[in-house]
Amino acid sequence: MSAKVLLIDDDSDFRAAVKSLLEGHGYDVLEASSGHEGLRMVVEHKPDAILLDIMMETTVEGYGVTHSLRYLDEYIEFRHIPIFMVSSIEESPDERFPMSAEVEMIRPDRYLTKPLDIPELLRFLETAVGAAKSSMA
Amino acid sequence: MSEPATSETVVVIDDDYAMRLSCRKILMKMGLRVPTFEDGASGLEGVANWKPDMVVVDLKMPGISGMEVISRVHEIDPQIIIVVITGYAAIDTAVQAMKGGAYDFLPKPFSPDELRLIVNRGLERRRLALESQRHRIERTMVERRFVTFVSHQLRTPLVAIHQYLDVLKHLDETGDTPAGRREWIDRCLTRIEELQNLIADWLTLAKVEGGALYKERIKVDLSRIIPDILKTYQPMALDQNVSLEARLQENCLFVWGDRNCLSVLFDNLITNAIKYNRPGGTVTVSGTVSRGEVVVAVADTGVGIPEKYRPFLFDEFFRVRDEGAKKTPGTGLGLHISKRIVSEMGGTVDVDSEIGSGSTFWVRLPAWRESEEADGSQNDAGRETSTDCR
Repeated sequence: MSAKVLLIDDDSDFRAAVKSLLEGHGYDVLEASSGHEGLRMVVEHKPDAILLDIMMETTVEGYGVTHSLRYLDEYIEFRHIPIFMVSSIEESPDERFPMSAEVEMIRPDRYLTKPLDIPELLRFLETAVGAAKSSMA
Repeated sequence: MSEPATSETVVVIDDDYAMRLSCRKILMKMGLRVPTFEDGASGLEGVANWKPDMVVVDLKMPGISGMEVISRVHEIDPQIIIVVITGYAAIDTAVQAMKGGAYDFLPKPFSPDELRLIVNRGLERRRLALESQRHRIERTMVERRFVTFVSHQLRTPLVAIHQYLDVLKHLDETGDTPAGRREWIDRCLTRIEELQNLIADWLTLAKVEGGALYKERIKVDLSRIIPDILKTYQPMALDQNVSLEARLQENCLFVWGDRNCLSVLFDNLITNAIKYNRPGGTVTVSGTVSRGEVVVAVADTGVGIPEKYRPFLFDEFFRVRDEGAKKTPGTGLGLHISKRIVSEMGGTVDVDSEIGSGSTFWVRLPAWRESEEADGSQNDAGRETSTDCR
């Protein structure tokens, strides 16, 4: 069975490019264009990995998703799903946003920058999904 | 001459009752607020409470000296204009006061005219200082917005194009060709156009803010320039199956303004009305004059604007974004630019909208008046010129 990757990003072009790439490497790709939609899809499809855009324009909605998945009880069965947060800015988000103490605690598995380094992305996904699969064995 | 602010305040500090009274009478006739105080201590308290634009203070008073009042006033607010009243032939003290921060001095005895003159000069100076302070603040904000603009608005389409090309290259190497390859090329081209529009709009905004778009202030007849704009967008309207209608009253829609600015202003409203319309719909631009204002309404028969978006409609880069749907096309700067232009002209822009029927944008601009001088300043002699159209 193919590994499922959920792409959460409000830019449809970015999603189209990455979807094509991942499908070409045997992944099943699901898409969501907002944080809310993304959370719904996590619950409905239980993906093996999540690629999540920070979504600066909508008050860094991306962090809301990570926070929910990692801290809220209602998502407890999805807490283990690896999350890769993606943004087009090079510096670590910590340096850019004066975050509240709470938000500072929100850590995805990795921060990736756009455009995605393709070999790197494929490697990270393989490791993350592979690890998930083996922990479920 | 800069515009007088509403109710500027001048504090008068003098231990002489008659002096306080007459200064107050003279200055109140000029439309100023004039709190008076009989000594330095109460005067300083008054300055802290009233936050005046100007302080007129007698140098020779018992208790806290006039000189000390000067420095203490400037501790409260360094921008307050201070005029000192000095004794006859007391030039030394006057010079000392000015070195200490006073703007000017008025030797006793002085006439009402002399007082008026010096107060007017001082207030003018104050207005200019405040204006330049506003400009400084605005410049900082502009810089900050520019950084956000570059780091986010410009980057987003660039990143999408870059990602498409990266994936194409990668798949090429592995011998794959994605099914939607042709579509990707079109998408890249569209995103590039988006970038170009963003940059163009941003430059327009910069010009509006910098006053560079505002080349000349002349009498403009809106019933002439608006039909021209409609004609320009006739093909675009045809494309969207939208009809354009003008209902502009002849010979009275005159405003003081710059043709370029006015064109950009209505350009944005009209293209929006065409874009956010429905097939078979209409865009109606109507113009009338009422109570000294030229009122132009741009109405569309689109889906209407949800209440929750209305407070943000004129914000920079604001675009309606409904869940799941693509962002509405456009740079998000059009309405912001229009509002900016309208504000610079001393007018207002509002929107009425009904979900399902459409929206109407109302632009109100001060009507051109015969009494206005060539340099563009308004001379409100209080006359009511009848400008209602017959």
